[in-house]
Amino acid sequence: MATESESSRSATRRYSPTYWVENMTDEQFAYFMLLPAFALVGAFALWPLWETFQMSLHADNLTGSGYVGEFVGIENYVAILTGEMTALLGAPFFDLDQPLQSALSVTLIYTAISVTLELIVGFGMALILDKEFYGRRWVRVAILVPWAVPIAIQGMIFYLIFLPSVGFGTQAMHAIGLFSDTPFINSADLLIMVIIADVWKTSAFIALIVLAGLQSIDRELYRVGRVAGASAWQRFRYITFPLVVPTLLVALLFRTIQSMRIFGIIRTIGGSGGCSTLPSLSCLVVTTFQGSGRYATAAALAFITAVVVAIVAGIYIVGFADVEGGAI
Amino acid sequence: MATVTGDDGDGDGDDGNALERSARRAMERPWTVYRAAFTFGVVAFVLITLFPFYWLLVLALTPLTNVNNIDFEAFGLPLPVPVPQGFNPAAFVEVFRLVPFHRFMFNSIFIGLVTTAIVLVIASLAGYAFGRLEFRGRRVLMVLFLAISYFPPVTFAIPIFRYFTGGVHLFTIPGVTAVYSPNWFNTPGALITPFSALFMPLAIFILTTFYSQIPDGLEDAARIEGTTRIGALFRVIVPLSAPGVATAGVLTFISIYNEFFFSFLLTDGQAQSWAPIVWGILNYQGQYQQYYNLMAAASLIGVIPVAVLVVLAQEKIVSGLTSGGLKE
Repeated sequence: MATESESSRSATRRYSPTYWVENMTDEQFAYFMLLPAFALVGAFALWPLWETFQMSLHADNLTGSGYVGEFVGIENYVAILTGEMTALLGAPFFDLDQPLQSALSVTLIYTAISVTLELIVGFGMALILDKEFYGRRWVRVAILVPWAVPIAIQGMIFYLIFLPSVGFGTQAMHAIGLFSDTPFINSADLLIMVIIADVWKTSAFIALIVLAGLQSIDRELYRVGRVAGASAWQRFRYITFPLVVPTLLVALLFRTIQSMRIFGIIRTIGGSGGCSTLPSLSCLVVTTFQGSGRYATAAALAFITAVVVAIVAGIYIVGFADVEGGAI
Repeated sequence: MATVTGDDGDGDGDDGNALERSARRAMERPWTVYRAAFTFGVVAFVLITLFPFYWLLVLALTPLTNVNNIDFEAFGLPLPVPVPQGFNPAAFVEVFRLVPFHRFMFNSIFIGLVTTAIVLVIASLAGYAFGRLEFRGRRVLMVLFLAISYFPPVTFAIPIFRYFTGGVHLFTIPGVTAVYSPNWFNTPGALITPFSALFMPLAIFILTTFYSQIPDGLEDAARIEGTTRIGALFRVIVPLSAPGVATAGVLTFISIYNEFFFSFLLTDGQAQSWAPIVWGILNYQGQYQQYYNLMAAASLIGVIPVAVLVVLAQEKIVSGLTSGGLKE
């Protein structure tokens, strides 16, 4: 009697989940713990990536049921890259004659200018925050608040600043000889507004990372520099700068990857017409699949966007390896 | 130095002497000049950063009839900044009446909190595996997770959009029915699930770092006391890593509250369809486009939750943002 209940108890124990988990090897347990994260990432990141790729290899299906038509291999990619699709997309993918109207060049120009400006402003901020002074905590809060502002509100703020009938921004730009009378439907003007908005919001990100880099520098080095007779500029040039460069490159890499996604800020500052005034790569994907239901073409464009980002990120990583391996 | 300033000692007026004296003082004690310049720089910097918020306030307080002539002067005196033309605090009430802006904010905060909770639990499990266990494929899996956050959102968006509009055939139960993906478009689930997947890599990364720093002895002690493996994680490791968990939580929440792309795509923009704050703002810009004072009031109100978070948790935010940059 007693033995029977004993054995049934151990049997229940053996099948209880706790018992099962407790008796796993470390490796099994590690995979077990990663399972939920994998399920989620698999379903909402890896599967969509694969599905996007699959879709991009099919024809658009505009009449029948189903999202995409028959398998066409890389035809969509060829059509987009050779410019055959331009009429359908509403904006060319790449056209040197009108750089601010074609998606690839808009995205690259925007990224290059805004990341450069953010680097300059962010570095300045970091040098200020590296000093000890009264109220530093509040200065840091002040530069962090824009970073935390939702993209939609960031766009709204600059829309209201540059709206010719309400804001002062367009007038101010006229005063220095920039901007047309209808800035929201002028590609160059919208580009400038979007860049200003982005610099305002995200310079703080670079500043914080650079600041962390600055504060990890051994202060003794500056003492040595001063004793050796180095000027402030020389101390910056030969001590601060080389030691911050690796951190700086990581910050730039993050910012570049993010900048190349630009969509929301164009959509809010430029309104519903923003994406046709300044078509970025993401803009083109959204208008292609939402506006005209060309899922396959949109998927191909999305994949091209990922590849473009990968190429630019690759350039950074190669550069990073050089800096790490080089004399610096 | 003294000879330069002492050169033209005679024959100058009081004015010249005062100038000369201050010049001499500046030369003898250059740090006072540096400090003045530095203070000026910091103040200018903070003012420029915060100016857009001031502009929103000016616009929100100005009655609608006056928004088209906001001046840079008050009582006939020119000022360097615009000032409200009238005083109409009612805009901050009206903003909830014209568009249910409180509902949009609630939607955003609800989606943000639920997603953050899911992310913290699942990322804790994964962070434990990555931070405290040795297993084959650890590095590869970690890189795989980080790679997710590199892809631009457009590469996930199209299949996820299809998935939640019920268009994806998952499997067929033979003889019974075909099972399609859930029609979650216009419900919080359509945003919570992709957000959980896409914002998890950052949380996993932060938590891995923190969890790996807890000494093994503490965990062993808990295990000897009879805690289960998962019990030890949530009763010992997580409480001891509270700052890390808070960092991951704050960053995840802010990222979701700021998110534009999926928030824009995965709802129809109605407050009752769980559209987040992005649509609260876009509704003002689209449907009520002459109510500039309300747009400004809505933007200011929308910033409050994240501004409070920044003030309360700035150390956490800074450490979270910089840990990514410095780890590489």
